[in-house]
Amino acid sequence: MRLEKGDTLPDVARHFSLGINAVSAANPGVDIWVPEAGERIMLPLSFILPDAPREGIVINLAAMRLFQFKRNADALAVLTYPIGIGTEERPSPTGRMYVERKATRPTWHVPASIAKDHQEKGDPLPAAVLPGPDNPLGEYALYLSKPTYLIHGTNKPASIGLRATNGCIRLYPEDVERFYENTPVKTSVHIVNQPYLIGQRHEIVYMEVHAVPENLNTVEFDKAYRKLRNIEKETGRTLDWSKVKKVLADARGIPVPVFEIRKGSAEKIEAVEVQHPIELKGKPEIPELKADDWSVLVADVPDEIDAVRLAAIINHQGPQIPARVVAKGAGYRVIAGPYHAAGEARDAIKRLRIDLGIEGTLMKPVKEVVTRKEVSRK
Amino acid sequence: MKKSLVMITIMFVFTLSVVGCATKGDLAKVQSDEMMTRSKADQAAQDAQAAKTAADAATLKAEAAANRAEDAVKKAEERERIAEEKARSAEEAAQLANQKAQKADDVFQRSMKK
Repeated sequence: MRLEKGDTLPDVARHFSLGINAVSAANPGVDIWVPEAGERIMLPLSFILPDAPREGIVINLAAMRLFQFKRNADALAVLTYPIGIGTEERPSPTGRMYVERKATRPTWHVPASIAKDHQEKGDPLPAAVLPGPDNPLGEYALYLSKPTYLIHGTNKPASIGLRATNGCIRLYPEDVERFYENTPVKTSVHIVNQPYLIGQRHEIVYMEVHAVPENLNTVEFDKAYRKLRNIEKETGRTLDWSKVKKVLADARGIPVPVFEIRKGSAEKIEAVEVQHPIELKGKPEIPELKADDWSVLVADVPDEIDAVRLAAIINHQGPQIPARVVAKGAGYRVIAGPYHAAGEARDAIKRLRIDLGIEGTLMKPVKEVVTRKEVSRK
Repeated sequence: MKKSLVMITIMFVFTLSVVGCATKGDLAKVQSDEMMTRSKADQAAQDAQAAKTAADAATLKAEAAANRAEDAVKKAEERERIAEEKARSAEEAAQLANQKAQKADDVFQRSMKK
């Protein structure tokens, strides 16, 4: 798909129900926040199913993707969603569990470890965060049988495809709604971590790699290697191992053909050109800033690209902090807002400082400034 | 004996007379040869001079060409140095831009935690 001016990779990812990890891995070298208009990107819309029983829910942490298997009569359907997972310090668990209970508009009972982190950042949290825009669980939650772990929505949609949770599994708000409705209590959940996937379709063997060679998972790689060797034995032909090595080295997270079971099969593979949608679903809207609004001067930036990037990052906070770039002299100014009251603008300043380390400056409504000047003249 | 002496004398006189006649006839020829030789020498000298002048001109031309070549090489080297510098600057700028983008993205990723 060809990008248009103002696109960001997180917006493209969300529109196509992909994680930002998948889009950026498939398009190395493309600026996440300020890609060039007209640049062609690849949308990784094919997936290899993880090596796990095809029932209930299977989550592959390495691919940051959840698969939901549904058996209708004799047919097996699979729905798939991108996810956000736990950080390296607080990873998501692996193993078998099940959905113990579900809740809409859940209250977030803040775990002690997170409360401590926020306290240290100067952002103390209440013991429980009620449903609403500040609740990180979003609108739907499925509580897993492994205590303290949930599959839930998010108030930070741009975090899908990132390692940003405390071990929970996050879905886009629009995905979690459908997932919630389709998933009964007691559904089995099998969480695996498989960075090397081998799959077969139309007599072509594909390989999908989600880990760079520096982070080689030897146990998982040996499994994939054995599968490839078995294919060699079964067909009596030798794989082109240089292709396999290249797929490993590139680690682009997309299925790449590495072997034709019947010669000439790969010739049928064609990439499909996707037209740019009229609008990207979920793209943050930036309301107009009027003279009587309060706003926040985020930064004066000499370089336009840096200014656009900063504004984009601020716009993708959760909840959104609307921000735009305004030319100012030889440079550019990033302004957040509009806010209808000084208190709202001060809250934004606090969030900018705590979440992004930016010291914003409160900007009064122009009318108020003018009125005060007039009063002082009188 | 007397007869032999007379014969030798006659031959001697005859030889002398013949020699005498040849010296006289050849004088003009010698003079002409001399003139020709001188003319040839002059021509040779002129040719040598012309050759020297041509050689000097060629040397000058070659030196000028060598200077121009050296100048061209120097200028090419300079251009290469400038191009390398520009490439290095562009690379540094790209690296800096990447670092800035990476730093911004790191901050973003941290901000996505609960």
